[in-house]
Amino acid sequence: MAEQSNWSRVGEQPRDAVDREWEVFIRNESRDPLQHVGSVSAPTIETARTQATTLFGRYATDLWLCPATDVRRYSRTTIDERAVSVDSEGERDERGHSA
Amino acid sequence: MISISKLLCGLDAEGDGLRYDAAGESAKPQITDHKQRRPVVVWNLTKQCNLSCSHCYAAADTETADGELTTEEGKRVLDDLADYGVPVVLFSGGEPLVRDDLPELIEYADASGIRPVLSTNGTLITTEIARELREAGLKYAGISVDGLPERNDAFRGQDGAFDAAVRGIRACLDAGLKTGLRYTITERNAADLPAVVDLLHDEGVDRFCFYHLDYGGRGAGIVDADLSPEEKRAAVKQLCDLTRRYHDHGDEIETLLVGNYTDAAYLVEYARQHLSEANAERIDDYLRRNGGDPTGERVADIDYQGNVHLTQFWQNYSLGNVRDRPFSAIWDDDSNPLLEALRNREQRLSGRCADCQYQDICRGASRLRALSVHDDPFAPDPQCYLKEDEIVPTV
Ligand code: SF4
Repeated sequence: MAEQSNWSRVGEQPRDAVDREWEVFIRNESRDPLQHVGSVSAPTIETARTQATTLFGRYATDLWLCPATDVRRYSRTTIDERAVSVDSEGERDERGHSA
Repeated sequence: MISISKLLCGLDAEGDGLRYDAAGESAKPQITDHKQRRPVVVWNLTKQCNLSCSHCYAAADTETADGELTTEEGKRVLDDLADYGVPVVLFSGGEPLVRDDLPELIEYADASGIRPVLSTNGTLITTEIARELREAGLKYAGISVDGLPERNDAFRGQDGAFDAAVRGIRACLDAGLKTGLRYTITERNAADLPAVVDLLHDEGVDRFCFYHLDYGGRGAGIVDADLSPEEKRAAVKQLCDLTRRYHDHGDEIETLLVGNYTDAAYLVEYARQHLSEANAERIDDYLRRNGGDPTGERVADIDYQGNVHLTQFWQNYSLGNVRDRPFSAIWDDDSNPLLEALRNREQRLSGRCADCQYQDICRGASRLRALSVHDDPFAPDPQCYLKEDEIVPTV
């Protein structure tokens, strides 16, 4: 199945350049899809929420935050050299072990 | 970036094509014709640094951090930047020279048609390294010095840092590398400014770049160390006077201001007061083509982990990561409402900026300082030093 091939898991690399990284998603109209608008760096969820609402509150009725480390990102085009290839049997590291 | 020497003294320097739509008027080769369309990209190659400066926006560390883009990943990023038409990549850090692959990345950028330039503390540059960087294709090295020796060393957290930076400057000049000063103006070092220019001019430096303090990284903790708006105005006036004095004596130094587009408005006022109305109009015209504060448009930042930021100082918000999506796609994504609002900020600027006659050449100056102090990216910049009657002239 073509849709099952050539996927890699991205982002096992840390993203926390300043503090913990939190992915930000917003929606302005209830019929809109949730939109990823980047990430904020903050030590706690409270600070992350304050930062995200300061930047995006005026464009959103819904705002979701998710720790970047809890997001599994799969791509067919990543430049990530340490991306883990995914096949029909699951995710494998460089040595071929199941991840 | 605003060139005092260009605007007040007419110095025709390489690089003006990026700042002003004046390529046709310049006798020197211009960098690119993509000047307003694509951003200059600052790439913080590493978080690691051999110094520990109190104003460091990258909050650099003495240890290597995890997740640095590898050499190969870096080349893929440069491929994308080249295809996108990015004119200049500024290799920065941390201290970029702690990465062994710096010459390789410089060479790759140069071969891809991107102009590679470097921001460094200069303390690791030997004659051999300077020669290697020049041969790799480096076009310019900006070396940071932040005061006379004692003050600089205290600021940079290391005794002997000033002398080491001057040795680095000499090595670059000896290798035939265009080299300039980077100086972040704060309350602690503003008084040293003319003496540092004199001292480095004696060493052969002819390009001096002055940064206003922005409120990101460790800089956020030293907001109190910033000059008051009145002191800032006095410091900029001092730089204008100093530049004109040098030029009057036949020394054509290049002086530039970065990080506070209130300077654009002030230069017009300065010209009106000290030169002539015609000069003020000419300068205003140039600055109009320059387009004001570049955040979200003509400058961008990629950190060592691949996170894309609005500017090199605005590190705690990332638009996306180049391991997920190419820089060009992230930067072109106008569906991000903050990016869109910054690019069309005229209707959103509030307070004194809303009615300011200089809004089109300043665009509200630093949105990061506004955010840091007022919790609102469209509030006035707390470091606007223009007087009320200059903002809205009395009729
Ligand atoms: S009032 Fe705003 S737009 Fe006018 S010079 Fe000051 S910062 Fe710039």
